[in-house]
Amino acid sequence: MKEILTPCPHLHRRWRSVLLFLLWSIAPWSHAQTPVFEIEIREHLFFPAELVIPANQKVKLIIYNRDDTPEEFESYELNREKVIVGNSQGVVFIGPLKPGEYPFFGEFNMKTALGKIIAE
Amino acid sequence: MRSKRIAVAVLLSALSGSGQVLADNPLHHNGVGRIYDPYVQATEKELEFRSLYQWDDSAVEDGVMYQRLGYGFSVNDRVFAEAYAIASRFPDKSLAIEAYELEAKVQLTEQGEYNADWGLLVEYERELSESIAEIAATLISTRQWGDWVGTVNVGLEYEFGSDITDEIDRYLNAQWRYRYSPALEPGVEFYADEYTRGIGPVVAGTVRGQGRRKWTWEAGLIAPLNDTTPDSTFRFLLEYEF
Repeated sequence: MKEILTPCPHLHRRWRSVLLFLLWSIAPWSHAQTPVFEIEIREHLFFPAELVIPANQKVKLIIYNRDDTPEEFESYELNREKVIVGNSQGVVFIGPLKPGEYPFFGEFNMKTALGKIIAE
Repeated sequence: MRSKRIAVAVLLSALSGSGQVLADNPLHHNGVGRIYDPYVQATEKELEFRSLYQWDDSAVEDGVMYQRLGYGFSVNDRVFAEAYAIASRFPDKSLAIEAYELEAKVQLTEQGEYNADWGLLVEYERELSESIAEIAATLISTRQWGDWVGTVNVGLEYEFGSDITDEIDRYLNAQWRYRYSPALEPGVEFYADEYTRGIGPVVAGTVRGQGRRKWTWEAGLIAPLNDTTPDSTFRFLLEYEF
């Protein structure tokens, strides 16, 4: 398990690559004109339960939790999970999505809090 | 499409560039751990168990095992704090608690807000029987490409104390995972630090209980890419979220 290696001669090039990746990933154009949609949680139900959004475009979803208890917006299909404490709001960015239906649910009230995003 | 090519090229460049480094391997060093995601959920509490077992042709490194048990909770919707007790077992010593660790993870961006999601992890670890401590800061980045998710952890750690020569190390760990189903997500992990270069398959999944109770598990087998990494490392993680 013993080995003596020489110092890396490409240190600066490597950190330059990491810096480029950082700048690219937080580029402001990535959500410059993001459409905004809203969903409410009331009495452990989502309103609207079906939300139509444009396909192939990122959207910003503002979720208002009007209940006193927390709820978690969750969807494996959307790869999103967001706890919203009672009487507050949370933001979830979704997409760009291919046309189709993407179910979501409230993790703390899985029998009632059900809905789906329809991308078209 | 172009942005995907750039991301892959930069990631591969960063990974391949971390291939060479420095000196002799310290006793019982293994840089394999876990890959952190950048996300924090409000009101979340969890118990975490991690185990690491290594095989090696060197008798002093063969059979070394590390285990840690942690309790964590979210301070708010951006900060998650966790404390661990860390135990280790070496060929000449039985399993015993050797250290504790405190960590805080900060979610820096909303999931999906930018091209990649960002988080920051800060850790403090202290040995119980020796004057050795370390602080570490890790930048976490995750990007989704369809059903694939790539995560990179890049960090610096500073080791100090009267029983060790003070030094700063750097590390880069990465995971490439396929979202097959909630209970089964196969992937590949890569670990690199001053001494460790390892790569291997990993499987992960989440099983849901009642309410917000969830079990998350991960298992991986990491093979060495250099002579200073153990011949084989098995890692296992189990998290109970409530």
